[in-house]
Order: sequence, then structure tokens, then C-alpha cells
Amino acid sequence: MSLRNTAPAIHPLQKINFVEPQIFDITPTVKLYWMQPVPDETMRIEFHFDAGTIRGNRKIAGFVNSLLLSGTADKTSTQINQELDGLGAYLDQEIAQELAIVSLYCLKENVEKAVAILVNAIQEVAFHEHEISDMLREKKQQFLVSSEKVSVLVRRAFQKQLFSNSENYNRQLELTDLEDVSVLDLKRFHKEFYLQGLRKVIVVGDIEPAYIDRLIDTVGAWSKLGTCEFETDFINIPGRLHIEKKDAVQTAIRMGIPLFNKTHEDFLDFQILQTIFGDYFGSRLMSNIREDKGYTYGIGCGVAESNNAGYFIVSTEVGKDVAEATLKEIKKEMDLLKKELVPQEELDLVKNYLLGQILKSADGPNAMIDLYMAAHLHGKDFEYYNQAIQHIQNISQARILELANKYLNWDNFTIVTAGTKVKLNAKIRV
Amino acid sequence: MIEFERFSLQNGLKVIFHKDTTTPLAVINTLYDVGARDEDPEKTGFAHLFEHLMFGGSVNIADFDAPLQHAGGESNAFTSNDITNYYDVLPAQNIETALWLESDRMLSLGFTPKSLETQRSVVIEEFKQRYLNQPYGDVWLKLRPLAYHAHPYQWATIGKEISHIEEAKMEDVKAFFHKFYNPSNAIICIAGNFKLAEVKRLVEKWYGDIPTKMKPARILTAELPQMEFREQIIERNVPSDAFYYAFKMSERKSAEYYITDMLSDALGRDKSSRLYTSVQKEQKLVTEIGAYITGSLDNGLLVISGKLSPDVTFEDVDAAIWKVLNEIQTEKISSIELDRLKNKIKTAKAFQEQGLLNRAMNLAYFELLGDADGVNQEAILYEQIQPEHILAIAKEILQKTNCSLLKVKAIQS
Repeated sequence: MSLRNTAPAIHPLQKINFVEPQIFDITPTVKLYWMQPVPDETMRIEFHFDAGTIRGNRKIAGFVNSLLLSGTADKTSTQINQELDGLGAYLDQEIAQELAIVSLYCLKENVEKAVAILVNAIQEVAFHEHEISDMLREKKQQFLVSSEKVSVLVRRAFQKQLFSNSENYNRQLELTDLEDVSVLDLKRFHKEFYLQGLRKVIVVGDIEPAYIDRLIDTVGAWSKLGTCEFETDFINIPGRLHIEKKDAVQTAIRMGIPLFNKTHEDFLDFQILQTIFGDYFGSRLMSNIREDKGYTYGIGCGVAESNNAGYFIVSTEVGKDVAEATLKEIKKEMDLLKKELVPQEELDLVKNYLLGQILKSADGPNAMIDLYMAAHLHGKDFEYYNQAIQHIQNISQARILELANKYLNWDNFTIVTAGTKVKLNAKIRV
Repeated sequence: MIEFERFSLQNGLKVIFHKDTTTPLAVINTLYDVGARDEDPEKTGFAHLFEHLMFGGSVNIADFDAPLQHAGGESNAFTSNDITNYYDVLPAQNIETALWLESDRMLSLGFTPKSLETQRSVVIEEFKQRYLNQPYGDVWLKLRPLAYHAHPYQWATIGKEISHIEEAKMEDVKAFFHKFYNPSNAIICIAGNFKLAEVKRLVEKWYGDIPTKMKPARILTAELPQMEFREQIIERNVPSDAFYYAFKMSERKSAEYYITDMLSDALGRDKSSRLYTSVQKEQKLVTEIGAYITGSLDNGLLVISGKLSPDVTFEDVDAAIWKVLNEIQTEKISSIELDRLKNKIKTAKAFQEQGLLNRAMNLAYFELLGDADGVNQEAILYEQIQPEHILAIAKEILQKTNCSLLKVKAIQS
């Protein structure tokens, strides 16, 4: 059985064949990105609007996003839904802090009709009173249900602490926001941030080039004029905060610090550090807190990037009796990365894992364009990933230690927990 | 159309090979024909606990994940009431690493006490995170035993209760492995840019020497046809009242399965569906409603679930739902509505087939159903459905005596 006692040889990553999207100017600042080589009949079209939750007041951006397909003077919401469903189209409306996205998924043969219906619905949305009250009732229900989840409670409180310097970024929806809303406010927001708020269009599908021109003609008038302002520095409130949730059998933990995005010189190397720390199945946090202690079903960390900034978070849900012990272990793992060189064997494993992840995130036209857009957001192109590969191949144990000491400083972290009552000492004993 | 080749080894292992020349990745999907339905009623949650243990090291390899990550890959798995499915995705040039790891854990596990001890805790935390610490999280733990009185679908994959997991012993784990984890009870699908001869050589090399065993016989207690309406009310500290109507439906392999799937779409798949437009949009009795099928291999469930609007009673909603259910079993649906349902299915299928992993999983699953090519026949089966088929199935299953109703009454504690 000697065959089984030795691992097969590992072959290094070969070159990744990046496929660039074609880029069309809608205006000098608003562009359409088209990934044409798709080997099947599917079409994906995304419209990105400057209509995220940082625009308008606390509630308005989310309300308008939810109401985009709620009917026009001529059509009810049900008619619009029936027409889109009749074409086999799937629609997705999502909203984040800095943007709102409307995505359409359908087959090539139906795309032209489906886009026409969608564009007309967004252009002409009437904000009917009964649709607004339906939306408020449904949102209230969703809000109450989500407020029962420790994972949601912890996220809301965490955002308040992490973006402490910016009201636009830290505001959270509250129950009283769902009592009523002014139609005029909705209409104003819709006009400003949708009808004059288009920032990007993404097309993935092997459609005829002439359609791209027609699509630009159809939505070009929505283009955002001028630039968008985004926060460049987040200032957090470090230290511990606990949100009480009676009878919770698990406690959610979310902790983090303001950090940077791809434009920062340490970004690529920090990615490698944070992967070792908690961003893959064999990470320090998973190995210790899940695989050794069995405190949790999962624990992880990650860097979230915004247009002009970024932040680093660690998050998990653990048994209520082991929440404090978990925090202690997270701190222990941070300290270890600051004190001791990561063993070469572990570093090599993470390097190979990350190279495999890049290969995976470039597999297929949909993944390819997402990868491109992630770099493009920060003024980069596919060359950025070639640099990433270089960084991964060249990083040293000493560099990991250096970055851990530079960024993983416990006292800077905002630490929020949500669960049953705890006795909070001023500091966590370590 | 998903192309594939099929071969098997002397020891009974079934292999599907799907060639894709466009990807630099390889997928190895391993389906074991064992799920929660195969568990002892006194030791439930075992198939799923076992899935966790499969990552705890095998007979010749101390750790499963690390060598795979070192080869640039990653792995995961899921357990259902019917099957346990493991998959590895990695750069194609390193496929042998995955074959080495997967074949060794098919040969035998490490069975370390530490692995069992840890995974018991992890699974208990998973139980809490998914089922106990979520609003409405435990409804399936209640709905299953209401709908199934004899068949093992009466328990969820996580198990009936935490104590079954807490009490899992090493001897149980070993017995489970020896019974269900062997080549004759597995189907693997390899996908990527390879040649068939190369795949055959590699599979023979790594799996050829695994001893053969009889495929375990499956004798499950059959569920007798339901003859009476069942109802249960549970009180929970949740924001609003909720309901779950579960109707018994056909098994996965029957022709009726596809018709019932489409019936559930007509009732409550999206915002042009009947329940949504009538009960939610027009009458405003609910803030959320949907219909779906469980998709299980043995007789499954068509479920209608939703949450009540404030100040609405269960009786109001019940009458409104039954009105919709009566309509669909007395009047044929229009060709416009039928086309709408078919077009949605067509689009969904085209997107699902984009992913290499999805294709590999589906091929293995359809091979379990009897023929991997079933994945290519599905579209035709949906296309052939006519209004009278939906009418007939609606009449047959949307009956009160075929229904189990779970109500969650919101209370403030």
C-alpha cells in the first residue's frame, strides 16, 4: 500500500488566461462592460445605480429599491411580473451601502423584450399608495423576523460602531421608519438616483453587437452626470459592546477595524495574512475554534472593500457558554501571528490554496467579469491579478509577521456580541 | 446537452466522466447512496454527523483538507434525507491529489476519538445555529413527524434531537462506515479537460484495489396513504403567525414528479403565481407565501408556507388558500400560464448547467436515479406537460385528507 502513503506530486499553477470584457462609453464616466464569449444561451444584464443606502435618509433608498417594479400608470406590479415571468426572466434587486443593482437573467431569445419591460417599469414607476403600504407591511414583517436573529443584531450594532464618523454609513433602519413614508420623497429619490443615477451596465452573453448599441440608447439617459462622493476614512469606536437577546442559545460575535482596499500597497500581502488567520477551512481560527474546541459551526474573516476605503472583520456564532472563551482564543491566535513566524509548510499551503482560488474565480465568463469588475472598481485591470500571483509566490514568513504586527492590534478592534446576558468586564481577561 | 461517458470498476464503483475543454479546473463529485432515511430511528442525525467525520483523516492520510488545499483545491459536502454528496474542486493538473484523498477515505477512515469528539460538538452547534437559534428554525423538526408516521422522512438530516448526536459512539461510527461506505454504494463523477483513457487509468489506479462489498439492501418502512387531515399548532416566541401545509406527493422517479413540481410553481414560485397574486397581493392576508416541493427520492411533500399579516386569523388565510387550491383542481390552467411556467424552468436550467460542479453533481444524482442521461431528458419531460396533467395531479393531491398542517402561533414570552 506504499502508493497511498505518499501524496501525489503537486504541479504549480500555469498561466491564467484572462479574457477582457469589451468596454463601451455611455458617457465619458458611465460605461458598459460586455463579456461576449458565452458558450450557451444565457444572458445576464446588470444595471448599477448610485442609489445605495448612504444616499437619501435612513429608509428611502431601500424603499425605492423595493418599489422599482411596483407598477406604472398603465400596468400593475402583477402585470409586470407576469410579463417578465412569461419571458422566463429572473430579476434580482439588491442594495448595499454604496450602490443598488438591478440584475436580469434570461435566455438570449427573450432579452430584448425583457429589458424593454424592465426599463419601462423603472422609468415609469408610479409609487401607487397601495403598493407603498404593501411594501411597508412586508418590510415590517421582515424586520421583526430578522430582529430575532443574533447574526442580524450583531451586524446592525457593529456597523454603528465601525462607521462611527459617518451618519450616512452607520444608520440603521428602525421599526418606526416603517410606519409611513412620503410619496414625494420616494419620487425625488427615484428621479435623482435612478433616472439620473446609472453608473455601470454589465452584459454577459453572446448577443449580436448591434444590441449593445440599442441597449445603450435605451438606458443612456439614466447616466449619472458628474462624480459620486464616497467616504474615504472610517473611524471606529474600539472596544466591546454587547446586545442582549433573551433566550439565545448561541452568541454572535462580530469584530473588526477600518482598513483599506486594493489601492493600498499592503492589500495583497494582507490578504495572505488574513487567509492564514481565518479565511479558509484550514485557517488558524477554524482549526482552533471549530476543529479543536468545537465551539462553533464556522468562523471566518474577510476584507470588505468600498469605493474609497475598506474594513476587516471576523465573525462567528458560538455556543452561549463559550462566547468569552472564543474571544480569548481569537486574541490568542492574533498574538501568535504577531509573535511567531508562520511555519513555511503552512505558508506554502496557503500560497497554493490562494493560487487555486484565483484560478477558480476566473473560471467561466460570469466569474471572469466579476473578477475584472472587482479590480476595475479600484482603477485596475487583469494585470492586478498577475501582480497578486507574484505577491503570493514571493511572500516571506517575515512579511506576514510584520503585517500582523502592523494591523492586528486587539485594542483597535470594535468587538460586538449579541446573545444572552453577559457580565462585561471592562476588558476581556486574557 | 451534457455529454458524458460511463464505466465501472470490478469492485462495483460506478464512474461518470464529463469532459469540458474550456475549464482549467477539475471536479470530483462522490455520491454515496446513504442518507438520513437509512438511519436507525434511535440513532438519527448519523449520516450527517458521519459526513463531518469524513474530513477527519483516513486510514493512510492524517488530514483530508490540508493536502487538497496544498494542491490549490477545496472541498465540501452535504447530506440530505436521501444521499451524502462530497465534492472537490481543484486545478486540473492536480486531480490525482483529490483521487488519492477520496479513494483513501473510501477505503477506510482514521476513526480517531478526537475527531468524533470535536465533530459531535460542531454538529451540535450547527443544530443550534440552524434550527434552534433562528425564528421558525424548528418547524421542519415538527412538520416531518406530522406528515410521516412510518417512513424515516419523519426526521430531519440534523436528527430528531441533540441527544442522538451526543450519544454517538465510535462503534456506531465504524458500523455505519462498513455498511454504507464502499465502492458498490458510490457513484463518482469526474469533470474537466481530460481524456477518457487517462481518467480510466487514474480511477483504476486509485480505486481499483478497494475491496468489494455487497451494496447494502434498503428496506424502509413504507408510509401508508394518508387518509385524514392532520393539524398541529405550536407556540413560539416569533413576530407573526406562520403556516405550513404539506401535501403528500409522488416519488422522484415517477412521471408525476415533474407535473407536481410545475403545479407547485403555478401555486407559489414567484410573483405571478396564484397564491402570491391572490392571497398576498389582492387580499393582503399574508406578508409572505410560497409553494415548493421537497424533491425527495421516496414520496415527497408539496409545501405551501407563509406568514400572516397583522390582525388576520388562520381561518381567513385557510379559506383563501383553499379557494386557490380548489380553482386549480376544477379549471385547467391556460396555455399562457403554462408557457410562463415552462419558460422559467428553461431559463433556470440553462443557468444551472453553467457551473462545472453543478453538472458533475447532477450527472451523479441522475445516475443514482438510474441513468445519468436523465439530466438531458428532464427538459423534455417538463416540455410535454399539458394543462390536463396539472389538473389531474392537483385533483389527486390537493385534498384535505392528504394534508398535514402545522401552524406556528406567535406568543410574547
